[in-house]
Amino acid sequence: MKYRITHSTLYDYSQSVGLCQNEARLQPRNFWRQQAHSSHFEITPSPTDFNERTDFFGNRVTYFAVQKPHTKLLVTVISEVTIFPKQNGLDLFNSMTWEQVVQILQTNFSLNSQAGFSEQQSQSQSQSQSQSQSQSQSQSQSQSQSQSTEYAYEILDARQYVLDSPMVSVSAELAEYARLSFEPNRALVDVVYDLMARIYKDFTYDPTFTTIATPLIEVLRFRRGVCQDFAHLAIGCLRSFGIAARYVSGYVETMPEPGKSRLVGADASHAWFSVYIPAIGWMDFDPTNNKVPHDQHITLAWGRDFSDVTPLKGIAFGGGQHTLSVSVDVLRLA
Amino acid sequence: MRNNSLANDIGTQYYATQLGIYDEMYANKVKVLPYWERFMAALDSMGTENLELRRREAQRLLRENGVTYNVYGDSQNLTRPWRLDPVPLLISSEEWVVIESGLKQRAELLDLILKDIYGKQTLLKKGLLPPELVYSHEGFLHPCLGALQKQKRHLTIYSANLARGPSGRMWVLDDRAQAPSGSGYALENRTVMTRVLPDIFRQTQVHRLSGFFKSLHKGLVDIAPHKKEDPRIVILTPGPLNETYFEHAYLAAYLGYTLVQGGDLTVRDGKVWLKSLSGLQAVDVILRRVDDSFCDPLALRSESKLGIAGLLEAVRRGNVAIANPLGSSVLENPALMAFLPRLARYFLNDDLKLPSIATWWCGQSRERDFVLQHLDSLVVKPINRGYGNHAVFGGSLSSKEKERLRSQIIAKPHLFIGQEQVSFSTLPALIDNKIEPRNAVLRNFVVASGHDYEVMPGGLTRVARQKDNFIVSNQAGGISKDTWVLASEPDKPVTLWTQPRRNQLIDAETDALTSRAADNLFWVGRHLERTEAVTRLMRVILVKYREVFEFKDQHDEACLHVLLRTLTQVTGTYPGFIKCDEQFIKVPDTELISLVKDVFRRGTLTANVQAFFQAAFSIRDLWSQDTWRSVDNIQRRWQQRISNVDLTIEQLPSHLDDLMTGIVAFTGLTSESMTREASWLMLDSGRRIERALALISVLRSTLASRHEEVLQTQVLEAVLVVTDSLTIYQRRYRSYIQLPLVLELLLLDDAHPRSLAYQLQQLCIHIGALPRSKRKGQLSAEERLILKACTDLRLCNVQELTQVNEDDGVYQKFEELMSNTTDLLWQTSELIAEAYFSHSQTSQLMVLNTAEDEL
Repeated sequence: MKYRITHSTLYDYSQSVGLCQNEARLQPRNFWRQQAHSSHFEITPSPTDFNERTDFFGNRVTYFAVQKPHTKLLVTVISEVTIFPKQNGLDLFNSMTWEQVVQILQTNFSLNSQAGFSEQQSQSQSQSQSQSQSQSQSQSQSQSQSQSTEYAYEILDARQYVLDSPMVSVSAELAEYARLSFEPNRALVDVVYDLMARIYKDFTYDPTFTTIATPLIEVLRFRRGVCQDFAHLAIGCLRSFGIAARYVSGYVETMPEPGKSRLVGADASHAWFSVYIPAIGWMDFDPTNNKVPHDQHITLAWGRDFSDVTPLKGIAFGGGQHTLSVSVDVLRLA
Repeated sequence: MRNNSLANDIGTQYYATQLGIYDEMYANKVKVLPYWERFMAALDSMGTENLELRRREAQRLLRENGVTYNVYGDSQNLTRPWRLDPVPLLISSEEWVVIESGLKQRAELLDLILKDIYGKQTLLKKGLLPPELVYSHEGFLHPCLGALQKQKRHLTIYSANLARGPSGRMWVLDDRAQAPSGSGYALENRTVMTRVLPDIFRQTQVHRLSGFFKSLHKGLVDIAPHKKEDPRIVILTPGPLNETYFEHAYLAAYLGYTLVQGGDLTVRDGKVWLKSLSGLQAVDVILRRVDDSFCDPLALRSESKLGIAGLLEAVRRGNVAIANPLGSSVLENPALMAFLPRLARYFLNDDLKLPSIATWWCGQSRERDFVLQHLDSLVVKPINRGYGNHAVFGGSLSSKEKERLRSQIIAKPHLFIGQEQVSFSTLPALIDNKIEPRNAVLRNFVVASGHDYEVMPGGLTRVARQKDNFIVSNQAGGISKDTWVLASEPDKPVTLWTQPRRNQLIDAETDALTSRAADNLFWVGRHLERTEAVTRLMRVILVKYREVFEFKDQHDEACLHVLLRTLTQVTGTYPGFIKCDEQFIKVPDTELISLVKDVFRRGTLTANVQAFFQAAFSIRDLWSQDTWRSVDNIQRRWQQRISNVDLTIEQLPSHLDDLMTGIVAFTGLTSESMTREASWLMLDSGRRIERALALISVLRSTLASRHEEVLQTQVLEAVLVVTDSLTIYQRRYRSYIQLPLVLELLLLDDAHPRSLAYQLQQLCIHIGALPRSKRKGQLSAEERLILKACTDLRLCNVQELTQVNEDDGVYQKFEELMSNTTDLLWQTSELIAEAYFSHSQTSQLMVLNTAEDEL
């Protein structure tokens, strides 16, 4: 499936801005499910400084600065992307239980996990009796130990997505909500499916309720939010059980109602989450639509949470009040 | 308990060390170490009284040099004097060799770890460091990955806190790797010590500290991008509210660097620039005292007001070097200590020469269980320092607290470490005239310079005030000590000056005055001048008040009322004496005292003195020693005098005289010691504008309306006294006192430094001399304004000004002139602010709040 995405952001200031610096994650990244053929910026007034790089998570980042006085800034990115509907149905029947996954994520296999302990110049008693426990651990994972280093690195990489991140901190409340989905010995895929469906059912989509600053705990308490909140919520639930989950920002194709023509620019940024399942890799889930993304989701960037992948942020000097308007158009080409 | 064989009146015979605790003087032996014995004998021969005198002298020097330590959350009493105990920590040269090589090794190791974490991440890939340890530490900044530039060493400055355990071995308590503080305090301590104990210092061969700072400078030059030979180095400070602001200013002045705040810098074209009065100037190296996550609101914490947007981008492009690099706080993770021995072997193929205090990271199951089992005997620390995150002594917790801690550890074990509770060694400290043992911590400083790390031979030693206290910190009110590393032969003095190569001509640095500093200078001038104007007026009022009281003359009283109303005008403290009942103005004591004393009322003397001091403190690095002393003097003496609870009217004259003396000293010093460059122009422009405004205010309030003759004479005389012009007037015009003549002198005489004409003329000259990108032949807006004010004044004549309007008894033309000039001055002041104080422009964060969706 091929798409052309046109994403425009317009800043309108009440007073002149002398200098603004910006960081954008607005160009779709390439990965096995997606190929970006082209992606380019159109910025007015044109920036004096423009630089592209790849960030920690492999996302495409653009730094640009407008160094002359302006009262309007228009940032447009036009990208053409092919989505391969490869997320295969078979993955959905993967039977690895969530407990197994947690175990894999908790174990260091490249070297033993006791690094540091025996190093202590401690005057205290050393601990050698608990050796047996860790031995049983290493047995259970012996099958994975033989896997390639690449697989080891993949798991190593996944482990950081179990940890708290700036906007998602696990708590007893999150764990409490998630518990219903985490039935013992349930396959992780089923757990996530169930969790996604529950969020879809239990939570009301309400753009007036939250802002970016609304803490997760309030979203949970009032059962309202937008796609970003639902993604964060799911990530928090999964992490509270030791599962690696990350945040994905992107777009989704919207279909016109039957009989109506497609409205240009009516689309919007979207967000969902992804879960790491050993041997399969990262699988996407969209709790706002209760769907596993297939060929209508276009990925921009991923990270631990929204703060890692903010599509466009900037610092402006001067400017007084500003208004901001965004339009996104996702056009199916073929 | 053990008694000392030394007998002297310092009280060392009562010096009671504790069983099981290592004492620096004894080193686990029965007899005092020979070098300590020599030192203590010297102290002894000095005697208790003398020693106490020296201690006070040290305190006085520190206070006068403005050595302070700010305590968070104490904005009222912001600066706390730095405390120095005249008994130093002595370290033998043999032992120093061990400490020195241990610190060098550790710096080297941490440098390699830093490079790896933000580079190839081999340690993570090989499993030598668990990802949870690195990634869950707030010091790991994702945007900094891959941002380290080509440098021989990335950890330019390193500092460690050391303490000696019961066995006599030195342990590292923690590592400081992002913006270590204390080296400036150590240097200042030394400076003071050589002045208060010159004889003992001379007899003892002590390593000098200045070499370290020379190396620091070299180290900073080394990392300058593009191998620039004479790079511009700045010190980035969070500002005067920061706890160690004194040190930032002190080092800036000592090393000759510009002290800047985030707002003073800007990033353009991927480079960092200093916003100075004479335009943007390239910055090559930043010595950073702002926490790394606050340094760039675009790439890092967006809420930070202390950073520079785009800084990290400039780093990535290799256009600026920062010491230490952004992200280096990842090394301050205390959990790292548990892994250092292994990493030392991996990187250096060596064992750690200086052990860390035993540390267990709970991110590993065995270690976690161990910590949970031994909560009572361990110190538990969160790996992330921060608000509400602090070390707890497990043993001192209630069972409820212990349960909470236990469940916190179980919930997120990788965020906690357990550490062995060590009793530190004691050393002699002068406490309430007695020498007593106190637990001590030594902070050392290391800098990368040339091919090696170099260690400051000395450091900052701190002791707890209370006995048996292991929490030794400045926030907790500790006392500092100098650290004497004994040399086998005397050190040669090192000069900080670099020797130019033969025939090398050095360009004089253009005065890189930041716009923020310019702003503060301008306000130092304004606040001080305002203080002076109010003080002068108030002195005249007090004399008049006394006369009214004694002679009960109605003209005196009428004149007093005119002056009191003027006071309200000049201080801007309405309604004051302007709209009040008769009783209020008849007994003005309460209001007068309030105008002197109130801190929270705008326009009072105390408020003005405070504002002056704050502005001057914000640019502490720009003042000469003597000038700063005079600033401190004004503020401190005023504080002492008026903090008296029962301040009476009778005491005021002497307080005001004293304040005037202080002001005159400052004015004299600045006009004698400042070069006539941008700094001076700013300071003096502020002063001139304020003097002109105050003068106009006095004249309008006293003379704009006609008074009957006897009163007029009194008022005119008072005005001449207030403006310090009576003597000149008498010399020039003899015994006649008339409005036209007074106006001639105070408004039009441009040879009289207190006249309006003089102020405006000076402003014309100053503003014309300020650097600015001018179009040829065109005046700037502020130049036009001040020229207009000048010309308007020169075009008027005294006859016209003194034509009274018979309907309302007002000197119409005079009033108009004064009112117009005031407007022009205010506009000029605003234009100057706009043109030169660009840091005041605020930035805003633009980000789309939610990712909205339509489905």
